Amino acid sequence: MTKKILPLFLMLAVPSLFAADHQWVLKQSTLTYHVSHTLHQSEGVSHAARGKGLCHEGQCDFLIAVPVKSFDSGDSNRDLHMIQVTRGAEFPMVTVRTHLPESAATVTTIQADIEIQFAGQTAHYKQLTFAVVTKGTETELTGTIPATLTDFKIDPPSLLTIPVKNEVPIRVEMTWSPQ
Amino acid sequence: MRAKAAIAVFGTGIVLIVLLNILLLNPVALRAQDATATLSGTVTDHAGRVLPDVKVTVKNLATGQSTDTQTNSDGIYTVSNLAAGDYEVSVLAAEGASSTMPTTLTAGASQKVDLVLNATPPPTEASPTATPPAPAETLPEAPSAQKTEPSLEDLGFSKTETQSNTAEQALLDKRTRMLRIHQRMGLITTIPLVATVILGPGAGGKSEGTVTRDLHVALGSLTGDLYGITAWYAIRAPRIAGTQKRGPIRFHEAMAWIHGPGMILTPILGALAFQQKNNGEKVHGIASLHGPVAIVTAGAYGAALLSVSVKF
Repeated sequence: MTKKILPLFLMLAVPSLFAADHQWVLKQSTLTYHVSHTLHQSEGVSHAARGKGLCHEGQCDFLIAVPVKSFDSGDSNRDLHMIQVTRGAEFPMVTVRTHLPESAATVTTIQADIEIQFAGQTAHYKQLTFAVVTKGTETELTGTIPATLTDFKIDPPSLLTIPVKNEVPIRVEMTWSPQ
Repeated sequence: MRAKAAIAVFGTGIVLIVLLNILLLNPVALRAQDATATLSGTVTDHAGRVLPDVKVTVKNLATGQSTDTQTNSDGIYTVSNLAAGDYEVSVLAAEGASSTMPTTLTAGASQKVDLVLNATPPPTEASPTATPPAPAETLPEAPSAQKTEPSLEDLGFSKTETQSNTAEQALLDKRTRMLRIHQRMGLITTIPLVATVILGPGAGGKSEGTVTRDLHVALGSLTGDLYGITAWYAIRAPRIAGTQKRGPIRFHEAMAWIHGPGMILTPILGALAFQQKNNGEKVHGIASLHGPVAIVTAGAYGAALLSVSVKF
C-alpha cells in the first residue's frame, strides 16, 4: 500500500519535481488608475482584464490584457476623454508581460520586471514589488505600477487650463489559479 | 456720448470675438506647425491586395523610439504627432512576410509611405545527397518546441475588442478639440456675464443715468454673442455611439435647458425694459421680469460651470 501511496503523494505535493508544463489563469482582477488634478482626484476601475501564464521547467511567462474602454471612472465624459487622449480606439488593449519563476507563488513578496504596451508605446518597469497571498489553490497578487503619462507619450489632459499631474499610478489586484 | 460708449464696447467685443475664433478654432493647427508630422500609407501584398489588421512599426532612428499601429479595413495606417527626423517604417505579417521603408519627416508634414509585403520565400529543396536533420526532440539540448509565451489570442478577446479603429479615434479627436474650445469659450463668457449682472441694478430701477445702462446693454450683447459661440461648439461636438451619459455631465447638460432659453429671453425682456426707460417710464409689465430671468440664467450658467469643474 505504501509503495503505491508514496509516489502518488509526491506527484500531488511536488509537481515541479516532474517539470510538468502547466498554466495559470487569471480568475479575478481589479485594475485602478489614479489621476490627480488641483481640483479633482479621480480613479478609473476595470474588472475586465484577462491573463494567462505558461510555465515550463519552473519558469513562467505571463500575459495580462485589458481593454482601454473597460475603465470606468463614473463620469462618461471623462472616460471618453481618457479614451481619446490615450488613443484607445487606435490601440484598444493594454498588455502586460512578465516572466517569473514558478516558485514565486510560494513567497510573500515578489520583485518583477514588467513590460507594458499602451497607447502605441512600450514601457519597461523593473523590480516592482507585489505582495503575494496564497488562499487554497488561488494566489492573490497586489501591487502598484508607477506609470506616468510621459512613459507612454500621452498629452496630459487639462481642466480649466490646468493640466493633470504626470504620475498616474495603477493599483493592481489579481487572483490567479492553476489551470 | 452714451452712444459712443456703447459702440466702443460693442466694437471691441466684435474684434474680440473674431480674434478668439481665429485663436480657438485653430489651436491644433497652431500646435501642428510647431514640430509634429503625420505618417500614413497603405499596406498591400505582392498582388496589390490591401492588407487589414497588419501591425506597422514606425521607428525613430535617432532616438530608437518605436510606435506601433495597425492597418484598418482598407489597409491604411496612420501615425500622428511624430517629431521631424529619420524613420524606418516596417510591417511584419503573421506568415513571416515583411517590408521596411526608410523615410524622413519634416516638421508639420503629412507624408505617405506605402508598403508592399514581400512573399515569404519558398523553402529550398533539400539536396538528394544531404543528410536530413534529426528531429528536434532527439537532438541533445535541443530547445523545446512547445510554446512558452501566451499570446493575445489565447485570452479569448473578441476581434472588435482588439481591432484598431482609426475612424473612431478621429471622431474622438474632433470631439475633444471642439469640447476644449467649448470649455475655453465658456470661461471667457463668464467675464462679460458677471460684469453685465453687476451693472444690472445700476442700469434700471430708479437710476436716471444712461451710461451704466448703455454699458450694461453692450456687455449683455457681448455676453450673448460669446454664449452663442460656446453653445455652438458643445452642440456640434460629435457624439460617440453607444455611450451612456453618467456623472456630472448629466447635470451640466440639464442646466442648459435653463440658461439656454434664459439667454434668449433675457435680452428680449431687456430690450423692452430699455425702451421703457428711454421713454422716461418706470419699467413695468413683462419687462420687469428681465432682472429675475437674468439672475436665474446666470445662476444656472454658474452651476453648469461648477458641475464640471469641482467635485461635489
